[in-house]
Amino acid sequence: MRAGLYIVFVFLIIISGHAMSRAQSITINNDLTFGDMFPGVPKEVPKYTAGSAAEFHVSGTAGSELSIEFTLPTYMHMNGFNMQLVFPEDACAMDSSATPDQSSPGYDDIDPWHPITYRLGFNGLTIWLGGMVIPKIVQIPGDYTATIVLTVTYTGN
Amino acid sequence: MVRERKKRRYVKSVSGAIVLLLIVFLSAGYSQDVATGQATGNVLTGLQVIATQDLQFGDLLQGVAKSVGRDDDANSGIFTIIGNRGSGISAYLTLPNYLALPDGSDRMPISFGVADCAIDTAGATPSTILLADGFIDEDPHNLPAGIQVGSGGVGNNETRIYLGGRVTPAVDQTAGSYAGDIICEVAYNGT
Repeated sequence: MRAGLYIVFVFLIIISGHAMSRAQSITINNDLTFGDMFPGVPKEVPKYTAGSAAEFHVSGTAGSELSIEFTLPTYMHMNGFNMQLVFPEDACAMDSSATPDQSSPGYDDIDPWHPITYRLGFNGLTIWLGGMVIPKIVQIPGDYTATIVLTVTYTGN
Repeated sequence: MVRERKKRRYVKSVSGAIVLLLIVFLSAGYSQDVATGQATGNVLTGLQVIATQDLQFGDLLQGVAKSVGRDDDANSGIFTIIGNRGSGISAYLTLPNYLALPDGSDRMPISFGVADCAIDTAGATPSTILLADGFIDEDPHNLPAGIQVGSGGVGNNETRIYLGGRVTPAVDQTAGSYAGDIICEVAYNGT
């Protein structure tokens, strides 16, 4: 009995230690930045553009499967004024390789409107998101913002 | 007896540890993380177009054509475009083929030559504008590419379009005040 308990104890220590030390976390490396925009002129930020496209980095247990889900805005706001914000169905890309390459990501043209399943690499997972704003011809000048929420969960696989 | 108590204590502590580790395992193994990023952008000042001065031919004589140069300070047509300094715009003029009496009973041809327009990005005047100030002798039916709001210099966020033209009254032109609309459209082109 004593030996049995000891084995279970050691087993749980191993498993829980593994899970506890490598829980996933998200770092926001870059916001989706459109910069200056002209009224009436749509502006697109491709997911490949470093420094302008949104960039998230997920770290956790290498090889674990993740469920990745965006909550995306459809407008940017400023003092009650809206400006349309569009995320095309191929606006997302990700790379779980040791050296993530934004210009040529390992997993490209992903629809950010639907949950994505992907595995973490040894260097985690880097996710990029592009988008497009459509200012109206009479768009009120000023700084517009919107919130992009990224939720990442282990699937257990 | 002592041995039994020791055994019970051992079982109790091991069980406690197992429960604790199980809780940790379940909570950590299926944890979730949420990050909130931002989309940001700055919308620049919108464009404004003002018909500052009408193209004025003044008094006309039947059968005698009359021209107004784009360099005529007092009579050339002037449109003023105000916006974000240094930003590229596209501009279009919709020009009439005739001037008409208010009741539409008679018309008078008006024409615009291929050099009847100048575009001033430097705050000059119709009579003083030079090539360095923007564009001169341009075709008003086909305004050039590369127009900016102002010259990019400090304090200048205006561009002006100067327009000349020519009317040709008929020998039996009905007397009266003739008029026609000249429409100037501008839009940012993202440059």
